Amino acid sequence: MVSKAKRKRSSSMESSGNSAVLQPVANAGFSLGNFKIPFALIIALAALAMTPRVQANEILFYSFAGAVLFLLTWFVYLFMQCQRSGEERSFELILRQQHYIQAMVQISVYSYWGYFWRPVYDHAWLIVGQILFAYTFDMLLAWSRRQKYTLGFGPFPIILSINLFLWFRDDWFYMQFLMIALGFMGKEYVRWQREGRNVHIFNPSAFALGLFSLVLILTNTTHLTWGQEIASTLTLAPNIYTFLFLIGLIVMYFFSITLVAGMAAISLFALSALYNATAGVPYFLDSEIPAAVFLGLHLLVTDPSTSPRTPLGKTLFGILYGFSVFALYTLLGALGAPTFYDKLLAVPILNLSVIAIDNAVRSIKSRELLNVWNDNWFGGKANLAHMSVWVFVFLLMSGLGKTDSKHTGDSLPFWQEACFSELPNACERLVQLESTYCADNSAWACNELGLQFREGIIVARDNAMARDYFAQSCELKFKAGCLNLLNDDLLAKEDPHELDLRLLLREGGLNLMENPLDELYDRACEHSWAFACENI
Amino acid sequence: MNRSESDLAGIGNKTEATAPSRTVGFTAMSIIIFFVAYWMSSQSSISSSVNSQMNSAESLPGFNKQAWLLPDDALLGFVEIPAGEFTMGSNPALDRMAYENERWSNLQRQGSVQLSSFYINRYEVTIAQFRQFVEDTGIAIDPAALQGDPSTPVSSITWPQAIAYTQWLEGKMRNSPQTPAPLMASLEAGAKISLPTEAEWEKAARTDDGRTFPWGSQPTSEFANFAGEGKRSVGFYACASCAFGLSDMAGNVWEMTRSPLQPYPYDAEDDDENLAEDALWVMRGGSYADTINNIRSAVRGGVDPGVRNNTIGFRVVISPH
Repeated sequence: MVSKAKRKRSSSMESSGNSAVLQPVANAGFSLGNFKIPFALIIALAALAMTPRVQANEILFYSFAGAVLFLLTWFVYLFMQCQRSGEERSFELILRQQHYIQAMVQISVYSYWGYFWRPVYDHAWLIVGQILFAYTFDMLLAWSRRQKYTLGFGPFPIILSINLFLWFRDDWFYMQFLMIALGFMGKEYVRWQREGRNVHIFNPSAFALGLFSLVLILTNTTHLTWGQEIASTLTLAPNIYTFLFLIGLIVMYFFSITLVAGMAAISLFALSALYNATAGVPYFLDSEIPAAVFLGLHLLVTDPSTSPRTPLGKTLFGILYGFSVFALYTLLGALGAPTFYDKLLAVPILNLSVIAIDNAVRSIKSRELLNVWNDNWFGGKANLAHMSVWVFVFLLMSGLGKTDSKHTGDSLPFWQEACFSELPNACERLVQLESTYCADNSAWACNELGLQFREGIIVARDNAMARDYFAQSCELKFKAGCLNLLNDDLLAKEDPHELDLRLLLREGGLNLMENPLDELYDRACEHSWAFACENI
Repeated sequence: MNRSESDLAGIGNKTEATAPSRTVGFTAMSIIIFFVAYWMSSQSSISSSVNSQMNSAESLPGFNKQAWLLPDDALLGFVEIPAGEFTMGSNPALDRMAYENERWSNLQRQGSVQLSSFYINRYEVTIAQFRQFVEDTGIAIDPAALQGDPSTPVSSITWPQAIAYTQWLEGKMRNSPQTPAPLMASLEAGAKISLPTEAEWEKAARTDDGRTFPWGSQPTSEFANFAGEGKRSVGFYACASCAFGLSDMAGNVWEMTRSPLQPYPYDAEDDDENLAEDALWVMRGGSYADTINNIRSAVRGGVDPGVRNNTIGFRVVISPH
């Protein structure tokens, strides 16, 4: 056991370092001392539970109440234990650039995305609640392990990163607190010695997201989360690729993650282009790289402490991420699981490989290869050189219309034609696209899906499923869907209605709800809808 | 043990604190993961058990628990409407309350429609009957639809949900020895269980004598639930003089049909036309919330197939398609 004297000596030694150290309050009578901070955080979390946003849903309220009760119990236990033993708990204030800059970048994403998809703003109070929970949990965990707590902005990027990819619906919000707890426990307990330092293996947010993603896939319970909506609504914000690219440059500049993010993006661009050239159809449905993946490769996979240290290692790490996402997209699709998990599942596995990657790179005997990214070649400014290459690649891709522009895969008639021509995966993509639009309340798409299941040509015949889709189409007033529902022998089809076109022509992110009908038909004609060309 | 193995195991970690140990941490993490996995996998079974808790298996007097809670009589509440011609639409000279959309054509006030024989249920579909369907299929509906006295007509359901009920009932009746022989014979001859067409509904409501209300042509509050405040149990109003002995063909809840709302003259053959139009289905009979003019047998209302309303329900027919 560490003696009190030793702990005091340790405390005074740490206070002489660069970090600001708050000294424990003298133990005179009853005083919470440094425990005031977690206590205040718990009170703040309890106060948040009283806000209308939390009170609006009973289970959400009980989730917050449960979190408060859990933290309070832990707090009282730890406090009493310290009182009995005379031990003190302390923290040091360290404001790390990678935490607050990353957090600011993430907040800018929420602000921009939320402006075009309001549920993000509605979720803001719940993010605040998670941050309060995370600080308290992390602090109590460190103090339970008799460690000094490092107070800074650390929990911000973890919580903001988790919520950029997955959040549970109000009725299951207690799972969100468990996911956060798991992330912080993973950071505290799942560690290894790396280059002489005891560091966590996994990116905390990616670890929690990866594990929960796996459970959600295996239990087929994705519908308990907003995962699918989060992945698909990012593109509602106009020019989202350019926006993510620009904020990505900030992160790249400060934290030298250009090799990881840039190589991951370049790999995905290259693989998509290769697939398109050989198969004749785009690999991803609505872009060369889905916007959520583009976000992930800037803000999820680039944690410097869980990625390789060597330049060539970072390059390999980025390429591996690109290949993993590419492979997982097909694998998840083949398993019938939602494909948006592709960007989440790869990260923990890659985190496990960083030592191996660094060791492999260091075992290379070729000096030329090892020095390929040598800092000296760029006058000591290698990162700026890497960023220049990335800027060039992004501008090139944008110039070729591979980022924010219209994408071939956005056109439903293209996939219908491709399916008819029996191009690889085209029919699966068509059904996937129709499913997405049906979920977005396109009555036409629901009727088309129903017809697919009734005909049984490109999917297995399933009349019960067909009826479900016809019912959905009918509830959206699509007369053909109603007639198909009435008569099992009918295959009634009809061109998309006005509201359908406003959904089907969004090209991923456009809001066409207010556009004049003429403009809508022009756009539909550009998308190869023959009936629209006749209406111009 | 090589370097990487010891790295992963954390051996040689000089900064590792003593308590709670890494074992405690891993145990806690494992518990969280297993709890989450178990809890999530149980979500679907929880919803099933909620459904089974709803399975009250009500035994209502006059309804057969063994036969999907349909009326407990020889034909499970179905009444045969004989084949033949009847007069459809309104003649404003005889019915001052007639609306414009009840006129047959520019040249003709009323029309004549020939129908084959069919069966129609004496009562509107009740909450208890619909609940059996919901429990059996797990269909997602507005919970409000199942609230209230189980012997009152179901409402707050959409048109596709009403159709789904008829399809479910047909599946059950085709495969059950409980189905009375005449009904089974009709089904085997190609008839289907569905919503009535508006012509079937109107004929069942006013026979071939062109009466204004199911009981005759004089307004009365004696035989119908209208201008009131809520639904009443089906069959609450005894009406021996009503056409074919059917109950609640006027008032209680509007009844959805399988005919699209389009101008007269009525022609079942053109129901599949005009697919570009938004779907709107005819509903008949008025509801507890309507005044006397809206519970006339010729009144034609329109219902959006996505609408759920407490004043709208349905009854079923077995008819040739």
